[in-house]
Formats: sequence, structure tokens, C-alpha cells
Amino acid sequence: MPDETIIAVLDCLIPGDATGWPAAGQHGLVPRLHELLELLSADGPAQLQTVLSHLPEDFLTLPTDQQTISLQTVESTAPDAFDTVLKACYSAYYTDPGIRRIIEQKTGYEARPPQPLGYEMEPFDESLLEPVRARGPIWRKVP
Amino acid sequence: MGAGATGLSFAWRLAKQRPDLKILVLERGGHIDQRQGPSLSDDWELALQREFHANPNIRRNSADYPVDETATPIKPAFFNAVGGSTIRWGAHFPRFRPSDFKVHSLDGVAADWPVSYKTLVPYMDINDSIMGVSGLAGDPGNPPRAERPHPPLGSCAGSLRLAKAANRLGWHWWPADAAINSTDAEPGRDGCNNCGPCGMGCPRHARASADIAYLARAQEAGVTLSTHNVVRKIITKGGAATGVETINSDGRTEEISCKELVLAGNAISTNILLTTMSNWENPLLGKGLMLHPTAIVTGFFAEDLKSYSGPFATSIISQEFYETDPKRKFLRGFQLQALRGQGPLSTALGGYGQRLNWGGGHASAFANAFGKSMSLTVTCEDLPEPENRIEVDTTRQDQFGMPIAKMCYRLGANTRQIRDYGVERASEWLRTAGAERLTVTPLSVQAGFHIMGTATMGSEARSSVTGHDGRVHGIDNLTVIDASVFVTASPVNPTSTLQALALRAADLMGRRLAQT
Repeated sequence: MPDETIIAVLDCLIPGDATGWPAAGQHGLVPRLHELLELLSADGPAQLQTVLSHLPEDFLTLPTDQQTISLQTVESTAPDAFDTVLKACYSAYYTDPGIRRIIEQKTGYEARPPQPLGYEMEPFDESLLEPVRARGPIWRKVP
Repeated sequence: MGAGATGLSFAWRLAKQRPDLKILVLERGGHIDQRQGPSLSDDWELALQREFHANPNIRRNSADYPVDETATPIKPAFFNAVGGSTIRWGAHFPRFRPSDFKVHSLDGVAADWPVSYKTLVPYMDINDSIMGVSGLAGDPGNPPRAERPHPPLGSCAGSLRLAKAANRLGWHWWPADAAINSTDAEPGRDGCNNCGPCGMGCPRHARASADIAYLARAQEAGVTLSTHNVVRKIITKGGAATGVETINSDGRTEEISCKELVLAGNAISTNILLTTMSNWENPLLGKGLMLHPTAIVTGFFAEDLKSYSGPFATSIISQEFYETDPKRKFLRGFQLQALRGQGPLSTALGGYGQRLNWGGGHASAFANAFGKSMSLTVTCEDLPEPENRIEVDTTRQDQFGMPIAKMCYRLGANTRQIRDYGVERASEWLRTAGAERLTVTPLSVQAGFHIMGTATMGSEARSSVTGHDGRVHGIDNLTVIDASVFVTASPVNPTSTLQALALRAADLMGRRLAQT
């Protein structure tokens, strides 16, 4: 199956929007999808083929809403295969450096791993517990 | 057998009490170098789907063995390595309450433990000092106890919202006890820097695991550790365990003799191994499997809470609904535990909750969820029901030549009522905190972390599998110290109580051996 079909599938799964989120297929994630299908599942490549084999022959020429309906059908008829491909698609998208930069621009979440820098947090404010303390013990005593 | 939470703590304690003994810990897995953990890598979130997945059937690391999960809606979750499942945990570290040990006396169901809360408290305090616990004394939800070794972890905007909401509702809440160092006070371990994903090891060693907390201490006390060594059979003779048959990573089998044998894996491995013994059986073995069925309610807020920051599982908890209340339709209760948000990929995949929808609207769904959500777990106390069990199928074998265990489990009527009521309360709490939208996951599937019961301890051999010290009835030199000995489940995480039992069992064994 040519990459064009896989690109179209990815674009249906994560279509992006006008606020600056790119569609997964157009963002060039097909090679990463293949890599992650191998990495994340023992039968990932076969599951992709299962999904593709369930698509109508004219999938590429269908309008987007019809492509989406086709994929919804695959989701119900081949749920395990669809699930594997969807997980790999999300994984490719949200670990992609370009997408992570977009997330950083939009949310301030830095495009870096959690360590070694970690994050700042406020110290715990004990004064919030005054009503809880004032109520007294609530645990059940035993004989 | 087993270098996890109980195996290493037990071995350390026994070696300290009895330096004359030769103590060998056999571990089927290897070492995990947490200093080089995946949270240092750009692809860190992928590790949760692969080598750090909670479910051994999905993870399939070389030390993992399959578990038949076809008859349980809650899938097994444990880790095979030095450190055991504490490699993979969130380090929430509550203690069972006194009532948890007296369920039959108080509520007329299940059984009482042959051990009391009071008996375990000194061991819990010792364990806290070694694991490293952050928290705050004075919780009215629990008996008075010593100051924690470290002050509470910090607060995020989401936990503050929940705390203030609990005050408006008049509910109990408290900062979660965490086996995480909040300060740099302990040599060799840095304080937590709030990175978030505790469940894949901690490069700072702030988050405790059994290997970090106990291994060096145990080895200094004279304990020997053998890794990549799978125990596949208990050898018995004349009503005693005389040794084990092991297989190492080269496929070589070996017999190791012993005077005392201690099983410190988990309820699944214990059931498998007890089944390998010839001339011993107990009809209660495998019965009364208890999990912590967990519903998750996630609230989405308009405000950017930056909820990806901070240890994901140790924010605040409410034990308002912990104890039996005759006004409710069920016995026992549940804990509500706040979970922080997750990284981008885990947000999209849903973590323990719900995956974001694909297709049109996915981008806005992500934008409205990432960093803006807080979840509450409804952690239900399960009752020990005979239908819930672990079966060992001796006709099937895994790659190590071991029989395969099957988890047979369904939610009992009482548990379902707890869960449903708990979902209502969690929803109420989140709405009061200002959540604009909620999603409910009625049962978290990949969450069979706390596998309890099936080799229950008791005072009488006719109604239990092990005694108060974990010794197997009928095999005096065979002791079980994993959570299979639990009599009841409580609605809170078991590790603090579990390790206290292990430390106590070590003391009892040390004294007993001194008399022989």
C-alpha cells in the first residue's frame, strides 16, 4: 500500500486544525509510524496492513468525512488492529520534536524531558488544613 | 525469593538481627539503573508502553512471565527486577488504619487479622525512616504518629483547588504520604524536583524503591543477591522445604538447599510456587483474591494548572469515606486520591483514564486537556470472596517451565456499590473545585497493582494458609511475606503495611531460629 494512503489515514486520525496544529500525515510522520509499529507491538506492521486492507479501494479519493466513516468502520470491525495503529499514530505525533515545539509555544510546556530539570512547585501551605484539624479524629477506634 | 519491597526489607532486618546466618536473595530479574532512567530521554513517554508498562503480558521483558488475564477485567500489574514493583510505582505510601485489621469484629464480614495495627506501628516507623517518606503528622484521618522524615511535597494549582473545595464541602483531606524524599537531607538521594512520572524510576533517587532504600543496607549486613535466577520449584522432604530448583539466564538448572525458605514475590508467583510442592495442599490456597478496583474521574478546568508538574500520584487524598457508615448501602469504603495530569502523549492516550478521541476535534480536545486536568481515583476496598481467585494451570508452562497462573476475578456487589457511590463523590469534589467537564472511567483496566490475599494469614490452620508470621501451615520452615497473606484489603495502597509485616516476620524468624 503506498504511503499516500497511510498519510491520508494519519490525517484522518489527527487532522490538526486552523489554530496551528498540523495534521499527522502531512507533518511527515509515516516513517516514524513504521518505526513505532515495530517498537511498540510484536505484530504492529501486520496490524497496519489489517487496517489498510479493510479500507475501501477508493479511500484516497473520498472526501474527508467519508474517509472518517471508513475508519470508524475499521475501528469496529478490526478493533485490535485499529487500536495498535492509533496508539502508534498518537505516539509518533506527540513525541515528534516539531509537535513538541508547537506544544511549548502554545502551553509553555518546555520541549524537553522531565529530568534533569524537573519543575518548580509551591511549598505546601499547612494553613489550608485548619478546618480539617478543627474537626478532630475521624478514624474508627477498635476494641 | 524476590528482591522487591518485602524481600529486601526482610533480608536486611534478618541479617541485622542474625549476622551469623547466610542469607541469599534470589531475583528473577536484573538491576534497573534508575540514574539513567527514561525520564532523561526525549522519548520518555514511550517507555510506559514498552519496558515500563505495568502489565507483564504487554511489557514482556526477559524476566517476565505470562499471566492468564482472560477471566479478569482488571489486568495484572507488577514488575520483575531488583526492587520489584517499587520500580514501577507511584510511591503513594499510606498506612492501613486500625479498623482494617478488625473487619470481621467491626462489620461482620471477612476475617480479623491475627496481627494488629498497634503491633505493626514500630515496624512502619522503621520502614519510613529507611524508605524515606514525605508527609505531615497530625492527620485526623489516622491515629497519631511520628513526624515523617521529610516535610510534605509541594503543591500545584490543581491540588490547591481540590484542597479548598474539600474545605468547602467539609470533607477530610490531607497531603498524601509519599515514599519520596522532599529534601536533600539523605546522603546519596536528592530531593524530589517534581518531574512527574515517578513510575519509570527516579534518576535522583528521590522516589524510594526497594533497591534504592534497602539493597546496599542488606548487602552491608551480609546478604547475598543473585539476579536472573528464577525459582521454579520448591523441594520438600518430610514436611519441610529443603531447597529450591532454579534456572538462570543461561538456561542452567541448579538446586539450592536451605534451612528456611521465604517467598517474597507476589500473590501470583507465590500461588505458582506453592503448587509445585509435592505432598502439600491447602484448599484455601488461591481463594479470596483481592484487588483495588479503581474508578477514575477526571476534571477539566479552564485554567492552565500545569498539572503535568509534580509527582503524579502523591498530591492530596481524602479519607472522608474510608470507614463503614450505616447510612450507606455498602460495608467498608474507599479513598479518593488526586492524580496529576500527564505528559502530552499520555494525555492523548488517556493514561489510566480515557483516550482522547481521534478525528475532527482532536487538536482542541488536546488543548483543553493538557495541563488542565486533575483526576481522582476511587480506590475501593475489596472484600475477600471465594469466587475471586488465582488458579494455577499445571498443564501449561511458560518459557521457564513454570505452570501458568490465571486471575479469575469479578467485581462483587459490595465493591460495585462502593465504586458507584465513590464516583458520585469524586464528581462532586471536582465540580466544587471548578471543573467545567468530567469524564468517568468506571474501572481502570491496567491497574491490578495490588494483588492481595489467596494465601491468607490466620490463627487457625483450618481457615487460613499461613500463620501470623507468614509461615505456611504444614511446612514450618516456609514463610510467605508478600501480599498474598493479606486478610483484608483496606482501600489504600498496601506497601507500607506490607513491608512492616515483612520486618516483623524477620524479627520473629530471627528469634525462632535462635531457640533452635
